[in-house]
Amino acid sequence: MHEVPDYITMIFTGLLAAMVLCLALEEKIHAKKSVIVGIFAVVTLALATGLHLVKREAVEILGHSVSLPIYIPGVDWEVIAIILGSSIFVDVTSKSGLFSWIAIKLTKVSGGDPLRLLIAYGVMTVVFSAVLNNVTAMIIVGTLSAVSLGKLGRLNKLLGFLLVEGLLTNIGGLLTLISSVPNIIVGNAAGITFVEFFLTSSPYVVVATAVTIWMGAKVFDIRRLDGIEAQRDAALLVSGFDENDGIESNNFFWFGSIMTVLFICAMASASVMPVIKDLGMGYVALSFAAIMLTRYKATADRFYQAVDWDLLAFFGCLFIVINMMEHALVLELIGDGLKPIIGLGAQAGTVALMAASAVASSVTDNIPLAAMLAKILGGMQIASDSPIWWAVIFGANLGGNITPIGSASTLVAVTIIHKNNLPMSFAGFVKVAVPFAAVQLVMAAGYVLLILG
Amino acid sequence: MTNLDQFTSVFKSADKPRFHYRRARIGRVLVVTDLGADDSAVLSRSLKAFLSVLEPDAPEWTTLCGGDFDSVNGLLEKIEAHKPDLIVTYRHLHSDAWNWPHGLGEYLDVITQVTTTPVVVIPHPAEENALPHSLKSTKQVMAITDHLVGDDSLVNHALRFVQTDGSCWLAHVEDGDQFDRYVDAIAKIPSINTEMAHETILEQLLKEPRDYISSCRGTLAAESLPVAIEEVVTLGHRLTEYCSLVEEHEIDLLVFYTKDEDQLAMQGLAYPLAVELRSIPILML
Repeated sequence: MHEVPDYITMIFTGLLAAMVLCLALEEKIHAKKSVIVGIFAVVTLALATGLHLVKREAVEILGHSVSLPIYIPGVDWEVIAIILGSSIFVDVTSKSGLFSWIAIKLTKVSGGDPLRLLIAYGVMTVVFSAVLNNVTAMIIVGTLSAVSLGKLGRLNKLLGFLLVEGLLTNIGGLLTLISSVPNIIVGNAAGITFVEFFLTSSPYVVVATAVTIWMGAKVFDIRRLDGIEAQRDAALLVSGFDENDGIESNNFFWFGSIMTVLFICAMASASVMPVIKDLGMGYVALSFAAIMLTRYKATADRFYQAVDWDLLAFFGCLFIVINMMEHALVLELIGDGLKPIIGLGAQAGTVALMAASAVASSVTDNIPLAAMLAKILGGMQIASDSPIWWAVIFGANLGGNITPIGSASTLVAVTIIHKNNLPMSFAGFVKVAVPFAAVQLVMAAGYVLLILG
Repeated sequence: MTNLDQFTSVFKSADKPRFHYRRARIGRVLVVTDLGADDSAVLSRSLKAFLSVLEPDAPEWTTLCGGDFDSVNGLLEKIEAHKPDLIVTYRHLHSDAWNWPHGLGEYLDVITQVTTTPVVVIPHPAEENALPHSLKSTKQVMAITDHLVGDDSLVNHALRFVQTDGSCWLAHVEDGDQFDRYVDAIAKIPSINTEMAHETILEQLLKEPRDYISSCRGTLAAESLPVAIEEVVTLGHRLTEYCSLVEEHEIDLLVFYTKDEDQLAMQGLAYPLAVELRSIPILML
């Protein structure tokens, strides 16, 4: 590593702190993430170049010498490709009516009984968060909760349902390598495969889901219906839902179903399949998006417009900022700061790192944290089976459950709560959510130490 | 990325009111005429034949002749005393204004709004313009509305009057003029794609009654009721559409609502329909 004067490292550290602060105050300063991080990317690039920390160099790619702008190699294009491909794939597949079909079918199976409905929606939230993404899962299950509880005349339970579902999105986000962005970033940096990730996290996800639903039922007084008549009336009401209403074409519905199964299988086997393992999961995601788009080949631009470009630009710029921080030795400085924490020992160090990740994720975006820690831990040559990686993964995901701004999906939950004219302040959310998050984190710490340690 | 409104719409659209069949029992029928006793008896007999579909309930038929009442109050008192499940009468009682097709007459005007009893209004006995099939049977009964979805009561009333192996027509006509006015307004809003709005709103407006009619068919099949459900769901000028449907399908009895919770007078389209469709019996709810 090159020599960098201390004052330069301090300037860049200040810039990083300012960026994190701006992201935490995103709502207050009325600026999109991409704009905030974009400005810092522009400033850090100019500073780093002006201070000769980086310079344009020719690189060898496939036998060709290519001169790339310095902001290109710093971006993790695999992560960008996975997010872009997955979001287009999910968006197009949702048009097949598959997700709404599953959601309505489960509603009818529950017979409109509030407790059975909470269990069905809770499990569905976790599975959708794992397979799709946690924001889409919260949108699907949250909107269905509002419609179905309205029909059942139980809107007084909606707040409890939405909060439990919001908290479960971040548990579902732990299930697979592609379920949340921190998983993708940290998993890639650690070299954890899709199958390894799933096998390691799934026992925790199953137990944490059951405990969260049980706590939710107790805290929000969600019980089974008393009496056969009440059960019959509720079943009659939910029987009015038509799961086939959103299916425009049976062929597309089946095509979407088969493609979803194949997508999960392809992602799971991407690291071992010949050819595919060289192309990576980003290729798999983009390929499946392209295949799904053939259904709407004449109007595919509609789906490009629906892509969350703010999120993608945010990632791109974030990788650039972190790359500049690496060159300014800021990551080395933070790594030095982390060493005492990790040095607390295999047990205390792991728990301390998880707690620190959770607290940091609760007040600001967990993606910069994950990206930074992935880079720092990667630089420390930590083995892929070390519980340290899992401490970051669990902490970054579950920290999102402490505050409403801790994750995008809890923010969606609060949006749905407000759309339905239910009262929920920032402090009110924290007051309700902290016991849930504390139990989930304690369970995660126990799991990481006892099972993975 | 998917958005909240998109899935809220999907789930709201999937929430479809289902038809619940309920057979209304008609135990007492009150025939109100302004004729003499003999003519009233003849009319009552022909009405019993016309409404033979009520036979299984073995209703008690009572006839009020012209001499039994001489004021609206007097008639209302008689109705209150009889507590009928169905009233059968005609326009312009104790008046010769039936010659001018511009009103219902004071008695019918008040009865339909003050009582909650369904009223079958037949063509005036002296009317020569009644359609040839009028008052013969109730094989073809049509329920008309601009808001069919979830209206179990309207459909159940119509079904109650359909003879075995007859047809119950469920007609839902969206007001074309009103729709055009909204589309014109949309056309002036740059942020809304006019063509797409026109297409999707119309599609949704017509889809909902079709889904409900489909639910009616399913329920009747489950109940093994020997009645065919016929469907008319369209956009147009409602009065013109209903009049032409009556002629085209030789409707024996037309069923519609007349009351509106928000007003004392007969609701929207009910009055012009009741005034203009004088050639066939109508059931006013």
